[in-house]
Amino acid sequence: MTETVSTMTQARPAGLHLGRLFERIALLVVWVGLIAIFGALMPQSFLNWGNFSIIFASYAPAALLALAIIVPLTAGDYDLSVGATLTLSSALIGVLNVWHHLPIGLVLVLALAAGAVVGAVNALFIIFFRIPSLVVTLGTTSLMTGIVQWMTNSSTIGGIDNALVMAVVGGRLFGVPYAFYYAAAAVVVLGYVFDYTPLGRRLLFVGRGREVARLNGIAVDRVRFGALIASGVLAAAAGIVYAGVLGSADPYSGLNFLLPAFAAAFLGATTILPGRFNPWGAVVAVYFLATGITGLTMLGIPLWVTNVFNGGALILAVTISQLTRGREASDIG
Amino acid sequence: MIRTVAGAALMAAAVISGMSMPARADAAADGLAAAKEKLAKYAAKPVFVPPGEPFDAKACAAGKKMLSIPNSSANPFLKGIIDRMKKAGAEVGLEVTEWENQGQPSQWVQGVEFAIRDKYDIVDLISGIDPATIEPQVKAAKEAGVKVMTSHFYDPSDTQNPFVSSSLTIGFGEVGTVLANWAAVNTEGKANILVIKSDEVPPTKPLMEGLRSELAANCPNCKIVQEVNVGVTEWATKIQPSVQSAVQANPDIDVVIPIYDSMSQFVVPALRLTGKTGTVKVATFNGTPFVLDYIQQGLVDMDLGESLDWIAYATVDGHLRDLCGLGSPAALNVPFYIFDKANAAEAGTPAGYDQGYGDAYLSGFRTLWKLQ
Repeated sequence: MTETVSTMTQARPAGLHLGRLFERIALLVVWVGLIAIFGALMPQSFLNWGNFSIIFASYAPAALLALAIIVPLTAGDYDLSVGATLTLSSALIGVLNVWHHLPIGLVLVLALAAGAVVGAVNALFIIFFRIPSLVVTLGTTSLMTGIVQWMTNSSTIGGIDNALVMAVVGGRLFGVPYAFYYAAAAVVVLGYVFDYTPLGRRLLFVGRGREVARLNGIAVDRVRFGALIASGVLAAAAGIVYAGVLGSADPYSGLNFLLPAFAAAFLGATTILPGRFNPWGAVVAVYFLATGITGLTMLGIPLWVTNVFNGGALILAVTISQLTRGREASDIG
Repeated sequence: MIRTVAGAALMAAAVISGMSMPARADAAADGLAAAKEKLAKYAAKPVFVPPGEPFDAKACAAGKKMLSIPNSSANPFLKGIIDRMKKAGAEVGLEVTEWENQGQPSQWVQGVEFAIRDKYDIVDLISGIDPATIEPQVKAAKEAGVKVMTSHFYDPSDTQNPFVSSSLTIGFGEVGTVLANWAAVNTEGKANILVIKSDEVPPTKPLMEGLRSELAANCPNCKIVQEVNVGVTEWATKIQPSVQSAVQANPDIDVVIPIYDSMSQFVVPALRLTGKTGTVKVATFNGTPFVLDYIQQGLVDMDLGESLDWIAYATVDGHLRDLCGLGSPAALNVPFYIFDKANAAEAGTPAGYDQGYGDAYLSGFRTLWKLQ
């Protein structure tokens, strides 16, 4: 397969090759450009390491959530329940640790296990009962939202073990809170799995054509099942980091991260490895959007502009990517 | 000639500025003294003030029933008020039922229609349901003889919907003045304030007007550096990055006022990440238990609270007065109380909704209702 791709690449004219290269780094270039613009406007407050370290740390849960989304997306399934899983995980931490006084280590394991259970429930209905993933994960989102409201009594739970807060935002390496490094570690691991392991290839093949993959001997259902479980666990991990960043568990927040995370996943699919959902691209997209939002907020621009920025950046990036590729049919969506 | 004029102007300016400096200093000192005096009222334990003449509440409430519709049953503050209203109602024989809903206007509509069909005597719209949103139903209820009343929603400066029978207002403007005075007093009259608000919530307008006018009156050297408007559904995603950006772009900010205290769960991590915990003060409003816990942990400095139980008794009292033709009090008359480091522990650890306010109202209302 690799040989075929390289032969095709060699046969292409140099202009197209450069176009591909530009496409791969276009978002990075725009990101640097954005930093340059905000830096020129606010050299003191924007262009300092402290600002970037805070951006890196505070968007770590969003980065993990974007990663959670791209795993099943690559295998061809939507997981809309990641936002609710994030909330469920952080609410479990609050309820078990603060109200029931369970040790934080055990609570974190239980939170991750809850994420795996959510993934398994989604997979059960999607794969074995053949219900579309959009419908199932929309349903489990509502289900979990209700459960969270029941178990938290719809209240924010403060006072989560300080050890978690310290492990997430208390400790710093090169001035950046640890939260960022957890997300970075997840990117490295996922990037390796996606690009350098047979599992990553199988995931991609399943997403590109289930029937073809099945005829090639790939256990399609098992791959999809695994992808949905991985998504649940990653979303639960995002919930853990979120609880650590806040120091509390909020029963309502998670759903708000869903749309930005999807935007980042799709925006990320236009960069680094264009046309594919890829972990590096997703994280670059999260921090690109974060930079834009932070810069605009620092300039004192009203917050509705940030929504326009999020949506506009997504549509523009996908459009540019499509134009660079000469309007060939999109691989995604 | 030019030089002479310029010199004269300079001298005049010097004289004027020399004269105005002490005047400004005096104004600042006077303002600070006024702010301190006003704050003292809210730092003292709340005192019960009868909202009207005593009346035979049992006779008035006999056989009557009230349907309470909260803005959303998922809101623990409102749910807490209604649970306590059921208890307070039971003392006099008023049957209080909650119309459980998830904050959707179509569900409020169903609630009012249910009350008309089931011949309720009172429909109580609690905190956040604007009667204008469901005006046709409110009108139909009035025509069917069901009195629709609001509580904990209108500010005294608001105009009540014409089909509403009576409203127990709450002084959101007054809340704004307390927040302003607290900021002035706790920065020696030099507060640089970041306000986090939600313009879509009706009480925000009078609250912000109170905050701005009180700052202008009592703190000439205070200024609101930035106002950040965040929609309720976006609190979780927008407040933290906004506060982080604002305190970094304006290092002079020394007070953050999230006007509703549930916002503070996103302000606290922003200050922690930017290393401003303890140096930037946080003052807010509502008295939600987890925020009172934050005060005990040194993460928030002040929360202006109201007792849910007190609100419940005052609501039952006010609505019964209207029902029985005794004239409803114009306001809810539930006092605000300042929680800070000195008294946050009185609210309990972990904090509760009713602790720390005292129980002067219980015997007060029971006496007023001729139960004792």
